[in-house]
Amino acid sequence: MSSSDNGTNPTLRLQGVGKWFGSLQVLDGIDIDVKTQEILTVLGPSGCGKTTLLRIVNGLIFCERGKVSFKGEVVDGPRPEMAMVFQNFGLFPWKRLDQNIGYALRIQGKAQSEIDRLVSHYTELVGLGGFEANYPAQLSGGMQQRAGLARALAAQPDVLLMDEPFGALDALTRETLQEELLRINEAEPKAMIFITHSIDEALLLGDRVLVMTPRPGRIRFQFETGFGRGRDLEEIRGGKRFQAMRHYLWEAMRNPEVEPEPIPELASE
Amino acid sequence: MATDAPAAAGVTTDEKALWERIKEPAIYVRLISLAVVIGGWELMGQTGNIDPVTFSYPSAISVAFWDLIASGKMVSAAYESSQILVAGLLIAIPLGIVLGILMGRFQTFEYAVDTYVFALYATPVVALAFPIAMVLGVDFVGKTTIVVFFAIMPIIVNVYHGVRNVDLSLLEVTRSFCSTESQRWRDLIFPSVVPYLVAGLGLACGRALVGMVVAEFLMSISGLGALSQDYIADLELDKGLAPVVLLMIVGIALTKVVNICETKFSSWRVRQES
Ligand SMILES: Nc1ncnc2c1ncn2[C@@H]1O[C@H](COP(=O)(O)OP(=O)(O)OP(=O)(O)O)[C@@H](O)[C@H]1O
Ligand SMILES: [Mg+2]
Repeated sequence: MSSSDNGTNPTLRLQGVGKWFGSLQVLDGIDIDVKTQEILTVLGPSGCGKTTLLRIVNGLIFCERGKVSFKGEVVDGPRPEMAMVFQNFGLFPWKRLDQNIGYALRIQGKAQSEIDRLVSHYTELVGLGGFEANYPAQLSGGMQQRAGLARALAAQPDVLLMDEPFGALDALTRETLQEELLRINEAEPKAMIFITHSIDEALLLGDRVLVMTPRPGRIRFQFETGFGRGRDLEEIRGGKRFQAMRHYLWEAMRNPEVEPEPIPELASE
Repeated sequence: MATDAPAAAGVTTDEKALWERIKEPAIYVRLISLAVVIGGWELMGQTGNIDPVTFSYPSAISVAFWDLIASGKMVSAAYESSQILVAGLLIAIPLGIVLGILMGRFQTFEYAVDTYVFALYATPVVALAFPIAMVLGVDFVGKTTIVVFFAIMPIIVNVYHGVRNVDLSLLEVTRSFCSTESQRWRDLIFPSVVPYLVAGLGLACGRALVGMVVAEFLMSISGLGALSQDYIADLELDKGLAPVVLLMIVGIALTKVVNICETKFSSWRVRQES
């Protein structure tokens, strides 16, 4: 089953992206296509350039080599069709939770009634209802992280760039939000790049999983998970296919030098 | 339930603070220290160990204080002084904010003026009293200018640092969501500057008060400075020190006001106590 029915043209296209910070090369030869409704999950060791990659896609910093395009247009700066969930949350400490979540909408000049509606919807969705009047310093790390997610979702972007968005969450909240994210992706087609350190999460959410090498970050390998839309996370978890891919990824992450044995389950399809 | 939690927490914190303050040894130590120093000073006066021509003691100063208030001399002197104080602050505060922001935000402007600003910051402003008097005269304009020079430096420097220390990762957030420059000022730069500005205002008020007295002593003599000096020259030390007491009270009051502003503007900083 294809990962999407309408989106065969890539929404995002990275071609030969290379990035240096001074003399330090951080990214090298990154070619990635993300289709309209595709979720690409990215795994890679700490410091391999994942955050840097998202910042380049978002147009926050430029790459010395290669280019990024969005729907065929070269990305030369941030655009409202993309929204980022920041690894360090990026909330304004002097804004209340509801003001933080509505931030992008205010920037876009939406009507106040529309802002209120969307803010309360996404606040509930990430499970922060009742905390609207709190300042970030009064919230736990996990709550701040969910606020950052709600802010990006409320902007209703075509491209969602997520930098370890569930890293600070407990297992239960994490699972609820994983399911929400899949549901949102189905309801409103979005191209998503989702960075994570969790192999399970990469497999459960990803239509495609991409693994990066240590610095300079290159694409080590990528594969389709083939779970399709409307997937049932419980069912997937119990399946042989998931277990096989999980094992494969564990082996790959454990030995950065050696490529593991290919997966028969994947080859047979 | 959680929506009104901050308000509820506020009440408990206040009650707790009051209770804590009563339990706190600091207040007793301070009270005892005051009693010993003021009481000792008073005792020296009462027992005739202080020559009223060269110095005075608390009860005599208090009596003189009320006499001067009753006769209206203190009030009119304070009114005269407050004019240059207020005028000076009204010029120094907005001007300092604008200069600090321009320096913090525009590199060219910073390079153009930073030499003067930091040179002035390092110069004792008292030394400027005579050149200012020569150029601007010894009356209202000259005196107000002295107050401005005293008060403006901490405002410029603090605002400058506030603008400079804007959180770079938040700056990136504003860029990521396609904020315009004016939205960026509203959402990020002004709120980051406020705590620095308030601290600067605290320093500025204290320095403005010094500037006021310096101006009144060194230029055409007037206001509280004049009142104090006249009585001291007449060897009426109790009356000469009464205006000093008033200045002390005003100084403390200004500091308190700034402190209150500080807590008001930084409510978002406090992590709610359970
Ligand atoms: N602004 C910068 N200036 C210089 N070096 C930088 C800068 N930003 C990142 N780096 C370097 O680039 C490399 C990649 O950083 P990046 O933040 O992209 O890693 P990451 O893959 O997101 O790591 P993590 O999983 O820990 O978040 C690191 O070695 C980092 O030190
Ligand atoms: Mg990172």
